[in-house]
Amino acid sequence: MIVPLQTILGLSAVLFGIGAFGFLARRNIILMFVSAEIMLNAVNLSLVGFSRHLEDPRGQVLALFVIAVAAAEAAVGLGLVIALNRNKPGLGVGDITELRW
Amino acid sequence: METLLTAQAVFYYMAAASVASALLAVTRRNPVHSMLWVLALFLHMAGMFLLLNAEFLAAVQVIVYAGAILIFYLFVVMLLDLPDEEARPRFERHWPFAALVGLSFASLAWLARSDMDLFEVGIAAAAKPDGPPLGSLEDLGLELFGPFALPFEMASLVLLAAIIGAILLARNRGAGA
Repeated sequence: MIVPLQTILGLSAVLFGIGAFGFLARRNIILMFVSAEIMLNAVNLSLVGFSRHLEDPRGQVLALFVIAVAAAEAAVGLGLVIALNRNKPGLGVGDITELRW
Repeated sequence: METLLTAQAVFYYMAAASVASALLAVTRRNPVHSMLWVLALFLHMAGMFLLLNAEFLAAVQVIVYAGAILIFYLFVVMLLDLPDEEARPRFERHWPFAALVGLSFASLAWLARSDMDLFEVGIAAAAKPDGPPLGSLEDLGLELFGPFALPFEMASLVLLAAIIGAILLARNRGAGA
């Protein structure tokens, strides 16, 4: 193990915190999605770190599933963004004030 | 010993660069610049995966995450013409609270990991002494088509549902119906 597991977990915690901040603070809805991707990536890093520490491939398989779900989330989320933008231009979360289309 | 030191130095460089690019990604004003910083973050993450014996995952990270998902995001940013995006405020008014949430989560996780009782290596490694090396394609393939066969098939269903949902959502109503 080239670095202790705790270093990897600390890095993962910091990246997750940055992603959470971006998700809560950004106005632009696409950048909110991207911040969620940063959070997913942080979790992947800790899964890979655990997998390395325990010499067990299951952590990496789980990270693979996380990537598959992230792809699905990106497709649906960006479809929603395009549909919302067609009705009312503007990507701020504050622009979406109506519950009906 | 030399190679270990080099690997450690490379790992710490990757760690520092990924934190820096994540910070830049969530704070840049121009959405395209943000995306490019996220791209840098994903590539550094792939490098860390390589150092942590996850070769296949590193390849998937570059091909699927950086190559497909992020380019998809970039396409949408470029498709939606956003001329006044840079003139508008980047953050919501409540951004200090968001910073507080991010900071407190990171410090909680940081504290939790530093006095975690780290279980020792050996149980799983001893169980299969002459299997394929950790993180190789063969290793992951044996897992995916063995104990994880059902979740693997379910992932295909999730992706199918996402494709159908995305087409339905983004379809032009006037032309479709």
